[in-house]
Amino acid sequence: MFRSLAALLLLSTAALADTADGDALKAMTWDEVVEQARGGTVNWFMWGGADNINSYVSDYVAGRLKADYDITLNRVPITDAAEIVNLILSEKEAGVTDAGTVDLIWINGENFRSMKQGDLAFCGYTGLLPNDALVNWDNPAIANDFGVPVDGCEVPWNTVQFAFAHDTAAVAEPPADMAGLIAWIKANPGRFTYPAPPDFTGSAFLRHVFIHAAGGPDSLLGPFDQAKFDKTAAKTWAILNEIEPFLWREGATYPTTVTQLNELFANGEVAFTFNYDPAQFGLAVDAGTYAETTRSFGLADGTIGNTNYTLIPFNSPNKAAAMVVQNLLLSGEAQLEKAKTEVWGAAPAIEIGRTTPEVQDGFAAIKTHPSVIPAAELAKAALPELQADWLTAIEKGWAENVGN
Amino acid sequence: MPDLAAKGPELTDRTRLALLLAPALLLLGGLFLAGLGLTLLRSFRYMPALGLTEPDLAAYVAILTTPDFLKSLALSLWIAGASTILAASLAIGAALLLRQTFPGRAVVSFLVQLNLTVPHIVGAIGILYLVSQSGSFARLAHAAGLIATPAEFPVLTHDPYAIGIILLYVWKELPFITLILLANLQTLGEDHEAVARSLGASRWQAFRHVLLPMILPGLAASSALVFAFAFGAYEVPLVLGQHAPKALPVLAWQAWTDTDLATRPEAMAMAIVIAVVGLALLALVARGLIAGDRDAP
Amino acid sequence: MRPDRLRLLAALALASFLILPLLPLAIWSFAHGWRFPDLLPQVWSLKAWSYALGPRSGVLQSLGVTTGIALATTILAALVGIPAGRALGQYRFRGKGLVTLLLLAPAFLPGIAVVFGLHGIFLRLGLVGTVPGVILAHLIPVLPYMVLVMAAVFSRLDPDFEAQARCLGATAWQTFRNVTLPAILPGLMTAALFAFLVSWSQYLLTLAIGGGRVQTLPLLLFGFSSAGRNDITGAIALLYILPGLLVILLTARQITGRGAALAIGLRP
Repeated sequence: MFRSLAALLLLSTAALADTADGDALKAMTWDEVVEQARGGTVNWFMWGGADNINSYVSDYVAGRLKADYDITLNRVPITDAAEIVNLILSEKEAGVTDAGTVDLIWINGENFRSMKQGDLAFCGYTGLLPNDALVNWDNPAIANDFGVPVDGCEVPWNTVQFAFAHDTAAVAEPPADMAGLIAWIKANPGRFTYPAPPDFTGSAFLRHVFIHAAGGPDSLLGPFDQAKFDKTAAKTWAILNEIEPFLWREGATYPTTVTQLNELFANGEVAFTFNYDPAQFGLAVDAGTYAETTRSFGLADGTIGNTNYTLIPFNSPNKAAAMVVQNLLLSGEAQLEKAKTEVWGAAPAIEIGRTTPEVQDGFAAIKTHPSVIPAAELAKAALPELQADWLTAIEKGWAENVGN
Repeated sequence: MPDLAAKGPELTDRTRLALLLAPALLLLGGLFLAGLGLTLLRSFRYMPALGLTEPDLAAYVAILTTPDFLKSLALSLWIAGASTILAASLAIGAALLLRQTFPGRAVVSFLVQLNLTVPHIVGAIGILYLVSQSGSFARLAHAAGLIATPAEFPVLTHDPYAIGIILLYVWKELPFITLILLANLQTLGEDHEAVARSLGASRWQAFRHVLLPMILPGLAASSALVFAFAFGAYEVPLVLGQHAPKALPVLAWQAWTDTDLATRPEAMAMAIVIAVVGLALLALVARGLIAGDRDAP
Repeated sequence: MRPDRLRLLAALALASFLILPLLPLAIWSFAHGWRFPDLLPQVWSLKAWSYALGPRSGVLQSLGVTTGIALATTILAALVGIPAGRALGQYRFRGKGLVTLLLLAPAFLPGIAVVFGLHGIFLRLGLVGTVPGVILAHLIPVLPYMVLVMAAVFSRLDPDFEAQARCLGATAWQTFRNVTLPAILPGLMTAALFAFLVSWSQYLLTLAIGGGRVQTLPLLLFGFSSAGRNDITGAIALLYILPGLLVILLTARQITGRGAALAIGLRP
């Protein structure tokens, strides 16, 4: 009796195109996956603060998914991906293993590490995606997300590299390197600050100071090392405490978010802002938030670059459709569309050389926004991302030694 | 339990009463008490799913021994206390004002009511745009030649004294208390005051000895509600608060959403501390109600 | 007359205090950039409005969801709250004080005190990330207002009228429909208004129980505000206060009417 009821239940869920069973999908061919995905819905949780990124996803991506695969894309705007990781964690704890809320999430770094550590990600399927061939998995910056091996648990979407912005009307010549920036801060009291971690961007700025204090990234690569950390951390806190009196509001408080820093920059309260995705500077100028005279720059000793990804949680009930979304996002056409300056200006996560000649021509024709430093120029001095354990230690140490 | 057999054309009063109350009690019991109960259990680190079956007080010890929590608790008490006192005093003035006739009274009344409908988060963002160091007031000060740069404008948002947060609560709760006081005053009518004045009492004496005691129950109850709200709201300090110390609800939310599951019980313990403050207020109001009933003729 | 002038001045101060925080939001919604020290934007634009009202931003959809949730919460609260209010308003019984306190408690306990536990329960029931889950959660802060206002209304209602109607042969439903309902309707409308507004303004309960999937306007508003898009934030903020404004305009009555029911409700 119970068994037949259960079988009936299983049948009815199958009829609803429920593709929660990841192992079954992995055994299929791509055509079979696409067949399973038809008519499905994908709840994609992603940061929703930029209207043109939203439009790219809701218009271009969702439009193509509907037309080509009859898949409905539900863009779920969020402010903090950590809250969603927490939701999936709670679902797992509550035994929700095949009816999760989230089908796809835009993610990287600490949140990816948490997903992987908690066995919250659907893994080992990425080779099935036809457009996976466009990804250069030999590049360690793609194959590792903040030092954590990707292991087929997520699919790259964009590559970014940290850059600073200044208003040429206020600061004609920005500092060339980290030592120069520190000297500038001391010479111009009240004109610089950085967001307090755990803000994502503020934390990235701290890592630049940390790498500067270590004399370069080489000794910090690899797994977390307490002895090395203690040595460099002491120097880092010394530098940060030394500049604190010269910061905005004399360092008595720090912005809580990068948005607050952006606001200070827009109104000329501070001279610099910074972002992981330099395209944001162009978007802010176009939105009227920043002055037209805004320009961006890197540092001679390098800035940190990384990759961001999309990930399917272990308990997504729509894995097949989510895989089709990921495949579409990786396609040369979709990557080209979002690379266009007027759409987003995001650097691709695929090898342009592996795409069709039309797509390659399209990329070649893109003119970077005047306020955005070209990715190629920025890439001349690039730093690797530290592993996620370093990040946690730096954030915690900052709160105890600097931000208290 | 209601006796279902007795359910006929004529219900006994007890059955009737049980049937009337059951839906509300079941719903509130099922949602409110169950939510609170599970929070309490987990604050004692009782989570069988994670293999924790021995309840203990470790989460409470952990939060009570960290300066962060104590600072946040103090900040939230300050925010709630200051907001309540300011909103309540100004509301008394506003209520006395709106009781009288003057040109434009309808407009002010309308604004008081409109403000009641504006969600807190809208007001918080509005206050931010208005009084931040680069906000509208700072720009006016610049235009008037009072300041040259934003840094010279007083720090009113993301500030150590939570001025921006308190300003928002005063803005939002003043109309709430005012409307309740006006209702109280309306049912009283003008007579008592007029009698007192005719007997030679001064304006202040008439207010202090005649009006105030009469509006006190409504004032106390609405102030307690305001205090509870200002103490426990999350979105307002999120928009207007500084990075450290954080208001207690923000700290609790951050602990709850931390991807390290070990901090969950601490979040639960903070939630229970917030609940205890709310219950204490409820107890105060309840005592006031009982005392008020006893004094009532 | 000096007192008159003082009164006017105080009224003016009060009115400005009430309206001022809403002005920058309104201006921002028409601004294309607005930086210090500009008193007004240098470039005006309808961009934020065309985005907010456009089909892809999800703002109008969110307006619908927010309204639907608030209406459903209000109706449910009325269905449950009217009988409970009647019990508290018309009956004397043992344990009445305790029942009243229990029904009043959620008004004094902030949402964050119950939401973590509620989330755990709703996850197991499959209610997280669903509109019904959010409606149930909203009932917690909404019910106390409904019950207490209705208790106050019923305490002033003469039960004999109903008895007379029943004697004259009316059914229970006819009695309620033709006698009770008209008598409690004004109070019920006030309670419903409060219930609607409390649900309408919820942020935390929706954020936690909605799991991101239930996007009400405050969540969308905070998203754009925390991304620094002050123009879109301004437009959504104005859309968000519009229904409240309409309700106040439509129900504009004696100023104290609303407060009266609530004030009496607060003092059962």
